[in-house]
Amino acid sequence: MTGMTAQMIFLAFFGGAAVWFGIVVFRTHSMVRSAIALLFSQTAVGLMFLLMQAEFLGVLQIMMMATEMSVMAVFMVMFMMDPGGMGAMEMTHQKRLSLWAGGVGLVAALAVIWLADWGPVVPNIPGAAQQAADLGRELLGRSMLIFESAGLTILTAMVAATMVAIAPTKERRK
Amino acid sequence: MIFELMTALTVGALMFGTGLYGALSQTNLVMIIMGVELILAAALVNLVAFWRYLHPDEPAAQMFVLIVMLVMAVEMTVGFGIAIARFRSRGSVEMEEARELKG
Repeated sequence: MTGMTAQMIFLAFFGGAAVWFGIVVFRTHSMVRSAIALLFSQTAVGLMFLLMQAEFLGVLQIMMMATEMSVMAVFMVMFMMDPGGMGAMEMTHQKRLSLWAGGVGLVAALAVIWLADWGPVVPNIPGAAQQAADLGRELLGRSMLIFESAGLTILTAMVAATMVAIAPTKERRK
Repeated sequence: MIFELMTALTVGALMFGTGLYGALSQTNLVMIIMGVELILAAALVNLVAFWRYLHPDEPAAQMFVLIVMLVMAVEMTVGFGIAIARFRSRGSVEMEEARELKG
């Protein structure tokens, strides 16, 4: 078995896992299970990145998503009327429209993927250390403005979300 | 090697379809956020596949991946901020009960 064939088999395996856990997110009645299924799905995506030799991005994806989904599981328990799913509550609406939209989106994307001419594929890529160095130079060089704007955006979002979430005091209610 | 690219892109398309179904069909704000996260994860898979198989010498492609990860984080931050505010004022994050937001 060649290296490339093995890469394709493992890509399909982890990709299948990512999609399957993505479907489980919306099939289970337990909200905690939903959050954990999304965590597994995002971890499988991170493993796909590692398979595609994007080591830095793969590790970043797994670390970020593990934290995000743990927070999400806490929010699920806080906000849901039936977080354990014991009551098997119906929490969907416009199912037929959603299925059609998802199906049409999928078919359109598959048509583009399989009909487009993607041009020549490049077999060799820089090593992990070179990739990290190149990305660092990119972030602190040509893309510095975008990078700094991104940092400012997430800081603003954090401050705004905290302000929205703070319970109003008696003075503010007046 | 084109088949590796096709496999990754097909996975991205399947995740996009699943996420779109979830974002449209769920009534709970947190579940809608989960659907959007899946859609953005699909975008991430596509971006990394394009970088790996078509433009591996272009670090700007990895920069795009970082930007999409930032969008995921911001979306969750803002979404949960709204969820907390909504839960405080109405005691629920069910979007069926948020029709007054239509104005």
